[in-house]
Amino acid sequence: MPHNPPTMEKAFNLLRALPRVCLANLKDHNWRKTTKRGRAQHGGDKHGAGNKGGGQRQNFMRIGYETGNNPFYKRFPCENYYRGQHLKRQYPPLSMLDLQKMIDTNRIDITKPIDLVAIANTGLYRMFPDQHHFGVNLTDEGADIFCAKVNLEVQWTNDLVIAAVERCGGIPIPRRMIPPPDAIEFYTDPAKRGYLADPEKISQERLVLAQKYGYELPRIEDDPDYEMLTERKDPRQIFYGLEPGWVVNLRDKVILKPLEEELLKYYNS
Amino acid sequence: MLLKTLPKLQIQNCRHIKKYSTAIVAQTNQNEHLQQRKLMFPPKYQKPRQVWIENLDTIDERKLGLLDLHPSVFAVNPRIDIIQQNVRWQTLYRYVSYAHTKSTFECRGGGKKPWPQKGLGRARHGSIRSPLFKGGGVAHGPKSPTTHFYMLPFDVRLQGLTTTLTVKLAQDDLHVVDSLEIPAEEPSYIEELVKSRNWGPSVLFVDVADVMPRNITAATDTIKHFNLMPAYGLNVYSMLKHDTLVLTKPAVELIEDKLLTHLHKNDTRFVTSKYKVNQV
Repeated sequence: MPHNPPTMEKAFNLLRALPRVCLANLKDHNWRKTTKRGRAQHGGDKHGAGNKGGGQRQNFMRIGYETGNNPFYKRFPCENYYRGQHLKRQYPPLSMLDLQKMIDTNRIDITKPIDLVAIANTGLYRMFPDQHHFGVNLTDEGADIFCAKVNLEVQWTNDLVIAAVERCGGIPIPRRMIPPPDAIEFYTDPAKRGYLADPEKISQERLVLAQKYGYELPRIEDDPDYEMLTERKDPRQIFYGLEPGWVVNLRDKVILKPLEEELLKYYNS
Repeated sequence: MLLKTLPKLQIQNCRHIKKYSTAIVAQTNQNEHLQQRKLMFPPKYQKPRQVWIENLDTIDERKLGLLDLHPSVFAVNPRIDIIQQNVRWQTLYRYVSYAHTKSTFECRGGGKKPWPQKGLGRARHGSIRSPLFKGGGVAHGPKSPTTHFYMLPFDVRLQGLTTTLTVKLAQDDLHVVDSLEIPAEEPSYIEELVKSRNWGPSVLFVDVADVMPRNITAATDTIKHFNLMPAYGLNVYSMLKHDTLVLTKPAVELIEDKLLTHLHKNDTRFVTSKYKVNQV
């Protein structure tokens, strides 16, 4: 049975007896005052800042400056380790712990398939396409405690994460609209549960992974949520319920669908 | 601290005041009058507060039923400092100081050195408009216009509204009525009603829409201390400026709905981000 905390009840009873709170009797919290410099034995000294010069005026040298030497950070003109870094595809990480937390706090509805839209709609994960963000990298931190049965679609992950999801009876699918040439192998690999992989080979890989990590694979055919768990997007489809080529008019709340044969052929190719 | 200073006052006064109280902790058995209402985001750990629904169509008070109020809005920690911060913000964000003083070089004259630097035995000066002179400029004086605009954090603004509603309810200064319909448009009716119900000199009536019933509009038009306000204009300053706050039942529901929506918001990035002057 819910009850009000006794302190709160006391406060309300007290308020009832006290004069009316109005504009004339408000008072702010007693914020801590900024401390003054000490006035004791060394109060008249320089307080560690020295006499005259940059130290006293807090005019410090810029970071890395070595008073005339060739600074360390300028000695090596480039680091090849980072060559082409600005062109590489980025997958901002999301841990399984974070995902579980989003599910536990009702930010993600697990009765529906989870894709990038569902994760971004939590407001806790952001994508910046202009910074070459290509999707979610689901990392294995928290894989031990992940216990939600989900139909999951992420763009990058590893086999431990796949195992943790499939152990709970769920299914992840890495997925992308048009994979770049160097990612085609990843998205057609049944071991990575690629969305372009052969479904029969995926079933086989599910068994292989279960034996690798030693868990019993739940039979999703007998699951009451079978429909939800096996729901897949078309390889050309971005959003659930919306097909490519449709125009969504948010102002009039209507969806415009193409009828022209040429357009239909283009979008379904 | 308050409890330490006033233990006796609390016990003595509570018994006396409870007779006229509108705020009641949920214990009643009057189920026939109870206005069943499903609270949004049902509270897990706190009981709902309850308030009588009163009428305005007769001068004598009739109680029409009890209304459940959400404890996250009407029973929060009554922090006076949060209220103070809100009132300070409301008075300051629109305040522009027009105080103005002239500096040395904005004053007329004073270009010539008043007397030679040496040889007269007088203090050295370069201008008769220096801050040391009578009629001279002012050093670091106020300049017009100085704006005092700042934005209070979103959570503090939200907390301010819930805290003030809580305080008003706890002090029996919040009344809920079924509607703002009154039978007469003469000011005397509403004046007498307020006087007989001991609602204090100033009253703020709040309804959902900004188009109020004709009679109450006409009746309160000439009385400066009875004011009407739509629910979207409800604010901490106005609630405190008036002794009594009278909400209609639909207004209570709307206010509760809006505040709970923001209290349970998942995505607070936009509202908690830094305020930009040209933001929408």
